Amino acid sequence: MLRYALRRILAALPVLLLVSLMSFAIVWIVPGDVAAEMAGPTATAEELARLRERLGLNRPWHEQLVGWYWALAQGDLGESILLRQGVGAAILERLPVTLSLTFLALGIALVAGTALGVVAAVRAGKGADRAAMGAALVGFSVPDFWLGLVFVYVFAVQLAWLPTGGYVPFGQDPIGWARGMVLPAATLALAQIGLFARMTRAAMLEVLRQDYVRTARAKGMPGWVVIGKHALRNALIPVVTVAGIACGVLLGGTVVIESVFSLPGVGRLIVGAIQRRDYPVIQGGLLLTATIFVCVNLAVDLLYAWLDPRIRHGR
Amino acid sequence: MAGKAPGALSRLIAHPSFRWGALLFGIIVLCAVFAWWLAPHDPFRNNFRTRFRAPDETFWLGTDRFGRDILSRTLHGAKVSLRIGLGVAALTALVGGTIGALAGFVKRLDGPLMRFMDALMAFPAVLLAIALAAALGPSEVNAILALSIAYAPRTARVMRAGVMVVREFPFVEGARAIGASPARVLLRHILPNAMAPLVVQQTYVFALAILAEAVLSFLGVGPPPPTPTLGGIIADGRDYIQEAPWISLVPGVAIAMTVLGLNLMGDGLRDALDPRLRTAIR
Repeated sequence: MLRYALRRILAALPVLLLVSLMSFAIVWIVPGDVAAEMAGPTATAEELARLRERLGLNRPWHEQLVGWYWALAQGDLGESILLRQGVGAAILERLPVTLSLTFLALGIALVAGTALGVVAAVRAGKGADRAAMGAALVGFSVPDFWLGLVFVYVFAVQLAWLPTGGYVPFGQDPIGWARGMVLPAATLALAQIGLFARMTRAAMLEVLRQDYVRTARAKGMPGWVVIGKHALRNALIPVVTVAGIACGVLLGGTVVIESVFSLPGVGRLIVGAIQRRDYPVIQGGLLLTATIFVCVNLAVDLLYAWLDPRIRHGR
Repeated sequence: MAGKAPGALSRLIAHPSFRWGALLFGIIVLCAVFAWWLAPHDPFRNNFRTRFRAPDETFWLGTDRFGRDILSRTLHGAKVSLRIGLGVAALTALVGGTIGALAGFVKRLDGPLMRFMDALMAFPAVLLAIALAAALGPSEVNAILALSIAYAPRTARVMRAGVMVVREFPFVEGARAIGASPARVLLRHILPNAMAPLVVQQTYVFALAILAEAVLSFLGVGPPPPTPTLGGIIADGRDYIQEAPWISLVPGVAIAMTVLGLNLMGDGLRDALDPRLRTAIR
């Protein structure tokens, strides 16, 4: 297990190196003068020169790159131009909002998706299966940010059950926090519910054909025990594996969902930075999200190998 | 031939998902292509006397804050969305397909090429596309470029897996044995037989690109105004969701219908072209 873990960690290193290089290189693809674009049309020559100096744009590219890695090694992601604050600090401040939104959505998607998938598999070919799979398909065909607006319109504007947006810290008022998070988390989860439902259905159909399921049935076990205990547990393995990938998709989804619901998370920070061309924040945000994604997937891989010894010995 | 059995076309036509998807998508495409003829009003013309009109017999789906007809703008916006989606599907097929084929066929290139793809895939696709589109500058071509960079790694992975399966078939060994060059083996023998998963994947990429383009336009880094984009119209209506909900509602329904049509077609293609893929997820 230790050897497998080491090998996986070593394989992730070049990916992380490339990720950090790409995050930095985003300023290189900006056509024309980055500083002029950031400063706006009214900037004077002095202001431009000062901005170039601050961003290190007056140095040759290889020095900029060395500077980026040197700062990274010290845990420094640079300084936001607009916030007048370190990028690392700005992100860390907002990370709890984004992570709680992501994991809440992941939880909703896993529970609702597996439930839908199990029902569909057990009633394969019948009306319930068709309805569940139809709902799943619609779920990942609808634009999530638009659905968020529809939810706001229905639940906040028309019914006035929930706030239209905004964020209350959990420590201050747990109920207020939950009321504020329900709509964004449900919106974000929707597409993943569809994908998890499809995966669970496929895996369940596979498992329900296995001999041990037939044996359990032949022993006279009640149907729900066979499905819940024997079939679902094994069907969940592939579902949990894609949870890592789903995490990345959800993390990407928070970018627009936080903007729709005015949640003060990393996503809204990045969108604001993109709209106002605050490149240090864009670079830091990209690097951080990708690093989280690589680490989560590494953790899922290791967990999977720990659960199923065939994997670490097979390859 | 691998995957594509003789009856693939008839299986496809008989497939209910594909038929419904093709019908839905076909209607949208026709609406978009004939937008100039079908649109009852000029999508660009401001008219302050008709601001915020609720749907009535003149403006079937209402008007926005500049008095522009939402139905007409949605029809033209669908045209832009489809153009971008098609562009992304084509470009990722070309670039991602080439990278995947080389990685699957040339063992020495596999490691470096796929590490590069892995690194691109570590960024959430939508976030990467937003950042790239903003850096390149808002325009239709740049939206296609940004989305293609974000979605090409997925296509490359599918192509690579397909090539690696076909590479091991006896007929490929046969072609090598009679002296076919590596390039000929790849282009004439392997690629035609590894196309089925690519076609399925690209249908889904088309759908994903339309969804992601809507996000770009919604956040203001898609094609710039006055070009009507579906995401842009949703953003226009966002501040008026209480008084004029139709502005945001209509284009969202158009996006959902287009994407649903493509996803249904993709499912049908997947089942018809390769029944073994039935349980696989995009």
